[in-house]
Amino acid sequence: MKKSDVLIIGNGISGLFAACIAADRGKKVQILSYGAGTLTIGGGIIDVLGYTDEGRPVTDPVQAMGQVNPTHPYAKVGSDTAKKALNTFLKITNEEGFPYIGSPNKNKWIPTAIGNFKPSCLVPRTMDSDVVFKTSNILVIGFDTMKDFYANMVTKNLKKRLDSDKSIKEFTVTLNFEYGKDLRDISAMDVARWLETEQGHVSFVEQVKPHIKKDTVIILPPVLGLDPNYKVLDSLEKDLSCSLVEVSSLPPAVTGTRLTKMLNSYAKKRGVQVIEKAHVVGAKVVNGKCKSVITEGFDRQREFYADQFILATGGIYGGGIIAKIGALTEPIFNIAIDVPKVQTEWSHKQLFADKKQIFAQYGVSVDENLIPLTAEGKQVASNVKVVGRSLAGYDFCYEKSGNGVALITAYKAAAAFCGEA
Amino acid sequence: MLKTTVVVIGGGATGVGILRDLSMRGIKAILVERDDLGYWTSSRFHGLLHSGGRYAVKDKEAAKECIQENTILRRIGHHCVEATESIFVRTPEDSEEFEQEWVKSCKECGISAIPLPMDKAFELEPNLSHKILSAYRCPGAAIDGFRLLWQTVASADKYGGKTMTYTEVTGIETVNGTVSGVKIRDKWTGREDKIACDFVISAAGSFAGQVAHMAGLTVNVKPSKGTLIAFNHRICNRVIHRLHKSSDADIFVPHGSITILGTSSIDSAPDDTSTETAEVTAMMEIGKLTFEHIYDYRILRVFAGTRPLYSADPNAKGRSASRGFVALDHAHDGIKHFMSVCGGKFTTYRLMAEKVCDMVCEQLGVNEKCHTADENLVEDPSPELMGRAKAVFPSYGAELAASRLGNRKLEHVIERIESKPEMRELVCECENVTLAEIEEIAAEPTSHTVSDLRRRTRLGMGTCQGTFCAYRSVGAVDKEEMPWAKDTVYLFKEFLETRWKGIRPVLWGNMLRDIELTRAIYDAALNLSGVEEIK
Repeated sequence: MKKSDVLIIGNGISGLFAACIAADRGKKVQILSYGAGTLTIGGGIIDVLGYTDEGRPVTDPVQAMGQVNPTHPYAKVGSDTAKKALNTFLKITNEEGFPYIGSPNKNKWIPTAIGNFKPSCLVPRTMDSDVVFKTSNILVIGFDTMKDFYANMVTKNLKKRLDSDKSIKEFTVTLNFEYGKDLRDISAMDVARWLETEQGHVSFVEQVKPHIKKDTVIILPPVLGLDPNYKVLDSLEKDLSCSLVEVSSLPPAVTGTRLTKMLNSYAKKRGVQVIEKAHVVGAKVVNGKCKSVITEGFDRQREFYADQFILATGGIYGGGIIAKIGALTEPIFNIAIDVPKVQTEWSHKQLFADKKQIFAQYGVSVDENLIPLTAEGKQVASNVKVVGRSLAGYDFCYEKSGNGVALITAYKAAAAFCGEA
Repeated sequence: MLKTTVVVIGGGATGVGILRDLSMRGIKAILVERDDLGYWTSSRFHGLLHSGGRYAVKDKEAAKECIQENTILRRIGHHCVEATESIFVRTPEDSEEFEQEWVKSCKECGISAIPLPMDKAFELEPNLSHKILSAYRCPGAAIDGFRLLWQTVASADKYGGKTMTYTEVTGIETVNGTVSGVKIRDKWTGREDKIACDFVISAAGSFAGQVAHMAGLTVNVKPSKGTLIAFNHRICNRVIHRLHKSSDADIFVPHGSITILGTSSIDSAPDDTSTETAEVTAMMEIGKLTFEHIYDYRILRVFAGTRPLYSADPNAKGRSASRGFVALDHAHDGIKHFMSVCGGKFTTYRLMAEKVCDMVCEQLGVNEKCHTADENLVEDPSPELMGRAKAVFPSYGAELAASRLGNRKLEHVIERIESKPEMRELVCECENVTLAEIEEIAAEPTSHTVSDLRRRTRLGMGTCQGTFCAYRSVGAVDKEEMPWAKDTVYLFKEFLETRWKGIRPVLWGNMLRDIELTRAIYDAALNLSGVEEIK
């Protein structure tokens, strides 16, 4: 087994981004991947910090990082590094021909699939929502047999939330998919695939065009192509002479898939090797340093060696942290996380409370260099760094900070291993 | 002002049973329920149709009633009953003497208890602990509480019996010591009204004391809380009981694709439906003796309800109070034509109703006999209707929809899909609920929340516990023409928070993973909590 410079466990957004950063600096990088990862079901947008701890909307996320509490991952990274990380992400999207828009210093309000808005920071051009607030006619488009998008609900709630002088109407595009009525449900993925075809494009334009007035913006589910480019968006905007805006929506997420493809493409061009179906079950730590990690398949165990390790296995949902009765554990380095013994103390009585959810903030504690600590506060291994969702100290749902924490901590970890920051 | 002969207070099994019985005897009756039908005790239980075996040793009367009613309900309520059987098993912890006494008692009560060789028992129920020493087959079964209630009401409706849900009784009126009517308030509109009547029957379960109090009377109901665990697996194909003196956490009941383990017994307030982690872990420890791999099974949720145990002795508690029922004629306390029905068991709800109605009829001078055991709750769908159902519903959904909808609504749902095929889209994949079914039930005047749809259709009761069907069901009802669905955020929160209540005490393993997904969708992606703020 050849040894890599940096071995990354996990192929979500933080693992992939860390790989891109380290590979850019000439490191030999391997990613151990197990399953598709949660990135593909996420929304593909970069939430950095949408709300303060008190629930006030944040205008400038990088500036607001200065006020987070000391256990928050952002407090360990610092806003200068955060800004570098986000700008590097923008640069990568540009190089990949799928430029994201926005600034680390300003939040945007993105329409959602229930017809309200959420704050986010960096988004693909398909979600350039500023136009929604400026345009006088909004046309919400649904598709007759597509599952998981209700144009009626979006329209109704947009009317409640936007200026009353706007005209907000809905229109349903007929798909006429042969398999639609009998065989299976139609998802946003199917519609995206259809819009990539000549026939789909023409049919969509023909149906929608008569409803476009001067000064119209279209709001629709995430269906503007499966790949990380703007071909579908650009051609529809040209043929319809109006802007199109995709909403933040439920899985399966076309937008998350585009982001996954883009990061993978960038990483592969830089020689990052992704080893699939590699379920990491343990690590060998000798004299305070990690020597290797062990994967387990159907038939055998394998050992992967590296100088540096990045743990990017995700949180409870991703499987990077395992919850049992009265116990929470990071399973690879076997780190016990300090939690109450009684499960009812892990959460608030209300799921959607007006404060951070308790269990959401559970995770691996790290020092200033993102090196994992045991419950007693000792370093687990000096050449291991933890990034992304497995980190303790934040609630990505309440704050709207998920992909932001992932990118920023991944950047810090990878750059530090390359002798920076 | 409304007028009727009898007002029945309480839409649980006892109340609906009385409504149907009275209606079938030709007596005008209105049932008023403060919440939704089956909101309280009658849904917060195992869903066990007792064979009587559990009571054979201690209470032969109750055991005999159970086996008699079990036989009747398998017939008249066969759309609500999953006619499995039950197996009583003795673990090394349980006494052999009890087993002998139990076999003898079952025989005396007319309950079939057939010894089952252990190799055969393990063949039938492979997950049983191999430490189990003996096993018997009995005629227990699983029963769907919500469905039984709605079908009983549908049957009463055919005979003119009226049901008003979300209608709270705010007063009981008397003239010269005799009941003359009740004051009511609509919970959603706040509108107040009166029902003039000749007789009031309180079947308010754990709240019977509170209802009697409105007439200045005292009824000693001792609510005893029981917690239940729903597992996301069919751990067993038959009801499994422990062969010992009735105790906590010793019954497993399979329902569709899940299994329910119960229960505990803790004195509590009538409306206490909370569950603590400690109650769950204590039950798991006991359940482990029956199914040794119990910790490997995924829990879906936990829930709790109170038993309305009646006690003439105000100090009697928990299991020492009688499981039998009493009908208190408050003429003895100075108010004529007012009766409180307390205690009892779900399995014997029809028999209780029969006995109560016999007494009421005598006082009202009605000679008509009880017919409730002679007629099915709902008619079977015709082969023609089932043929149409099978043509429009996805895979096995036809049978499920037929049994939960009843004929009239089944036909409506079929018509909806026949005219608009996309209405067959599944809103809830776990429980096979179509968009057409959601629209049909949502348009019923008894529907006010997505939870009401859930109790009628099983929407949101499966593996994902509402994560996906919350969006779809709210999207489906969030229309201008649906008067109750004005506030999207309220609809989401009402539904998702009640699902959360059952997950919170068991926040480990995949339950916690799923809740992370729920929050990622509704909080991170859709910003449900931050909905009021823009810019």
